[in-house]
Amino acid sequence: MNFDITILEKMLWSGVVGIGFAMLFNVPKRLLLSIFITALVAGLIKFGSLANGLGVISASLFAATFTGFVSIPISRYTHTSPFVISIPSVIGMIPGYFGYKTLLGILHIALQKNPGNESLILLSIIHNGLNMIFVLGSLSLGVSLPWLLFKDNVLKKIKIKESDDWV
Amino acid sequence: MQASKRLTEEMAQLLLKISSMLMTSGANTNRILLILNKFAALMHADAQVFINHKAFIISLTDLENGDKITEVMRLPAHIINFTTISALSKASVNAEKERWDFEKIKYEINRIDQIKHHPRIMVLFAVSLAGAGLCNLFGGDYISFAVVFVATFAGLFTKQLFARNSFNPYIATFFGALIAALISATLLLFFPSINPDIAIATSVLFTVPGVPLINSFTDFMDGYILTGFVRFMNGLIFVISIAFALFIVMYLFNIQSL
Repeated sequence: MNFDITILEKMLWSGVVGIGFAMLFNVPKRLLLSIFITALVAGLIKFGSLANGLGVISASLFAATFTGFVSIPISRYTHTSPFVISIPSVIGMIPGYFGYKTLLGILHIALQKNPGNESLILLSIIHNGLNMIFVLGSLSLGVSLPWLLFKDNVLKKIKIKESDDWV
Repeated sequence: MQASKRLTEEMAQLLLKISSMLMTSGANTNRILLILNKFAALMHADAQVFINHKAFIISLTDLENGDKITEVMRLPAHIINFTTISALSKASVNAEKERWDFEKIKYEINRIDQIKHHPRIMVLFAVSLAGAGLCNLFGGDYISFAVVFVATFAGLFTKQLFARNSFNPYIATFFGALIAALISATLLLFFPSINPDIAIATSVLFTVPGVPLINSFTDFMDGYILTGFVRFMNGLIFVISIAFALFIVMYLFNIQSL
């Protein structure tokens, strides 16, 4: 199993990215710490899987699945909707990079004057586009997996503690 | 009879307001229906809704006197706001537990509507740090890190400026991404030894429409294909505007591939 110090560095920055996007989406302040920790561990899972030879799609799926399952007890504890915890935690893994690389490829093909290397660009469009679709799909699948596997009344039984109003 | 008719209308409008607040703040369709049905059940009503990106249609049946009403509401601009979702979700749980009546629900919804955003400067700093963190995750060094911090700050500032003056959201995203990419490309001219690709590519990541894209796929999985497609196309147009901004910067700075 591969593990080195750069993974820890990336894990820390994943947590920071989670908090940054949580602030952008105006998540209540009391939830920021739980989002930081969730994003941190999700980052550890993602970059740990990448370092051990898994592809970006399955690495995202594992990280998002962890986030989806852990968001339920946290949301019960903090009285909020689980998606408020899980979406900011995985938002740093959104394949925006693949998305605009796909469209940049399309723009290049559409606008270039002297054709020559279209086949390479075409391959990169397909590669990036498919990656974007599949990573997005695995993120959404992972985040909503608890609801797909278990019925609502099972999930409702998860109760940690009746906490007071923290707002 | 007249009084009860008016009340049904008010109930429909309150439910429309709740669902519109949820939709514009970025909740997925399943969550909107869940919360809506909880409130409708508390009001002793049966709500049938048609959910779309820009408008809602609700058909409400008052289970006490059998009155029926259909209302349509057009939605305001979408601004992602998870405080609203969190507060409405919490209110729906509390309302069910304490059996809130109509007036109490109405009061609480109006209170939630007034909750303020985080201070702008804090959001700018946090998002810039997140953008710089993404640069690190993509393998950038610490000079690129600083460059992306500055570029994201300026880009988000520009995007907010356009959004505040109620420009088209796609145009606001385009200019935000353009400013961020321009600044990172310009700053990296001073460091010729560093490959500018990572910094330019990550400086625009703050504009990526993550919430519409994730929500579109969760909607697909829940079977709301139409709303899912609408959300996906919405997200795709944001990505197209980012790609256009990047294309212009790549042309200006003669960068071949990103």
